[in-house]
Amino acid sequence: MTAILPASYRKYANWLLYGLGIVFLIAWLGPLVADKSGVQIAQRTISGLLLGGIYATIALGIVVINKASGVFNFAHGGMMMVSGFLFFSFFTEANIAPLGAFLLATATVVMVLGTASARNLLKPLYLLGGAVAVILLTIGMSIGGLELRWLHAMVGAICGTVLLGLVIERFTIRPLIGQPIFAAVMVTLALAEILVGLTNLLWGAQPRSLLIFSEPHPFLPGQLVRIQDPIRIQADFLGGSVLIDQPRLLAFVIALIAFGAFFALFRYTSIGLAMRATSENQQLAESVGLRVRVILAVTWGIAALLAGIAGVLYAGSTNSSTIDTNLHFIALRAFPAVLLGGLESITGALVGGLVLGLTEEWAKLLFTGDVAENLAPYVVLMIILVVRPQGLFGEKRIERI
Amino acid sequence: MSANIRPAGVFDTNYKQDMALNRTRSDRLLSWGGFGLLLLIPLLTAGGPLGLNIVPAYLVTTINTIAIFVIAAQGLNILVGYTGQISLGHAAFMATGAYAGALFARGFEMQLFGSSVPIGPMPFWLALPAAALLTGLVGLIFGLPSLRVKGFYLAMATLAAQFIIPWIIENPLKPLTNAPDALPSIPAPQLGPLVFASDAAIYYIIVPLAIVLMLAARNIIRSRTGRALISIRDNDLAAELLGINVFNYKLRAFFLSALYAGIAGALLAFDRNTLSIETFRLNTSIELLAMLVIGGAGFPLAPLFGVAFVKLVTNVVIPAIGPVFNSFLPTLLPFVDAIQIGSALPSLLFGLALLLFLIFEPRGLAYRWEILKIAWKIRPYSY
Repeated sequence: MTAILPASYRKYANWLLYGLGIVFLIAWLGPLVADKSGVQIAQRTISGLLLGGIYATIALGIVVINKASGVFNFAHGGMMMVSGFLFFSFFTEANIAPLGAFLLATATVVMVLGTASARNLLKPLYLLGGAVAVILLTIGMSIGGLELRWLHAMVGAICGTVLLGLVIERFTIRPLIGQPIFAAVMVTLALAEILVGLTNLLWGAQPRSLLIFSEPHPFLPGQLVRIQDPIRIQADFLGGSVLIDQPRLLAFVIALIAFGAFFALFRYTSIGLAMRATSENQQLAESVGLRVRVILAVTWGIAALLAGIAGVLYAGSTNSSTIDTNLHFIALRAFPAVLLGGLESITGALVGGLVLGLTEEWAKLLFTGDVAENLAPYVVLMIILVVRPQGLFGEKRIERI
Repeated sequence: MSANIRPAGVFDTNYKQDMALNRTRSDRLLSWGGFGLLLLIPLLTAGGPLGLNIVPAYLVTTINTIAIFVIAAQGLNILVGYTGQISLGHAAFMATGAYAGALFARGFEMQLFGSSVPIGPMPFWLALPAAALLTGLVGLIFGLPSLRVKGFYLAMATLAAQFIIPWIIENPLKPLTNAPDALPSIPAPQLGPLVFASDAAIYYIIVPLAIVLMLAARNIIRSRTGRALISIRDNDLAAELLGINVFNYKLRAFFLSALYAGIAGALLAFDRNTLSIETFRLNTSIELLAMLVIGGAGFPLAPLFGVAFVKLVTNVVIPAIGPVFNSFLPTLLPFVDAIQIGSALPSLLFGLALLLFLIFEPRGLAYRWEILKIAWKIRPYSY
């Protein structure tokens, strides 16, 4: 790069440019904003925050993997989709086949026990514990009918999702440790492709209704319908009332609880400490006695869980409450959130997610057409990359030759 | 790698011989003979002037598609394989070239400061370079973030390009492009009395152009620019210390890459006669990257192998094994529908092939081909 100006002046030139950019933005968007009423803006802000909670959960899953193993997971959307469909299957199926449940439980337990070393599977203690776990999981997945469907869905989806994360880590990420970044990007792209194919194969492409936030149908007995009445908040000083959609609010609350739980896991538990150590330096972590392989596997399992939670919540809280293969594009839209917050920052994931949700909803308010969904996140992405590539809370990379 | 290995008894005595692509008489014979055979293919189809029915007509169409994608993948190869910058937005550059070429050839009116300026209709021979140049400039714009970011972050910037460019084509430019509906009736190329309307006719534009562009890419890589690009890929800091203007050369790589993509896109438009934006979505970008990985990024012949492999799998293997899966999979797994298998197989097999290549043959088919060539040249000795 040729220096046009001396370094000290370049800093001021940058500030000047940013200042001009902000002035331009205000001059452009100001009149558009002034057109809208206060209620509209408040309404969009609230829905943006509610959507942002889910984006934050997606972003957290991506950040966790990126921190621990240095792989940016393009397959996160695929994982969201597969676990969402697993949840759907266990949630809506009245009679779960015990054999299928048994096979799923066995596969999960084998993968979990064999994480450190396949030889562990032969130890009597592991065998006993594994057998008990398989029996418990099978029972949890398959007893009872539709009354226990929440239990089925939780146990089944958690089993399948953890299995998915562990299988991906074991068979595709682990063989490629030490390869250049291009290989890592391509592997997750290939995985995304495979997961889309798998979903198409097992569940088909047509949308399925996933009524997790439901109430009894007002006219048809025995039928369920998405919760319809929004919470109405009277806001006279804005000149009207703001509506809050109940399913979206519930999804937001659950997403935040999940976010908080995993944040606490990273911050306050010993496994979280081990994960943070591993993300700092894998060799050092190994040399102080941490089992890096196990930790990486656990990270992928956790990320898959987060993907599953986000997938189910997003699919369940949209206006149609359906799940289909378009779900994996939602993760693409959350990428700007990850970059905005910083690739290594958990707080950044939360802030980035909320800001992105707000951006999308405000863009819906200010512009017509599909600008909001298809363009706004990527314009934000370009701006971040040019202005502050490491994100708000990310670490600036220092390079050594 | 193979450039240094000659058959026994063949020695270079001057610089010209050392740099020649075709060094021996058999090299020359093979390359010109192969070129001649390629040009013969459309003549042997049922619709050809000789009236022979030796070669099935779909082969010509397939070779056209392969040649177009080889051009696009070669552009990506310059950027990814030689310069080491990941691009997830190559299909968007193809879209730019395709729509620019089609619109230049159809002619349109541009609103400029209140007055409408008619542009075109241009002949194909002007529309193609114009579209390529325009795409190159668009590539420069989206290469600008490479000033500040690299590696994975740059991949994200190009991902943004992949969403922004089709959006621009679909929304502000909708009166011109008719997207997301198809843009119909793109005029066929003409040269004097000759009209290149049929697949077999446009073959004689696409295939020689693809070969020329492959050779051009190969020679660019052997030039000062190419060596600078490779040094940036290997270590950009070291390259900068050697006095290479990294940003300048990265922009050159982006320009060249987008130029190739623009040519490929424009050719695709003229080959198909209609255009749909759905051809240029993210999955096409991923497919191009996958072609490069399978072919072996960083080898001059990689696009050929990669594109041929992927197109072979999607056009030949999947139709062949689809019925087999249809017959036994629904009985094996009762919840699988026969309809779902058809839609699932392409992405499943494609992802699986890419994954297996990444894990077991990360250097790709072109690397195998080089090893094979060396083994053949130094036979009967094994090293």
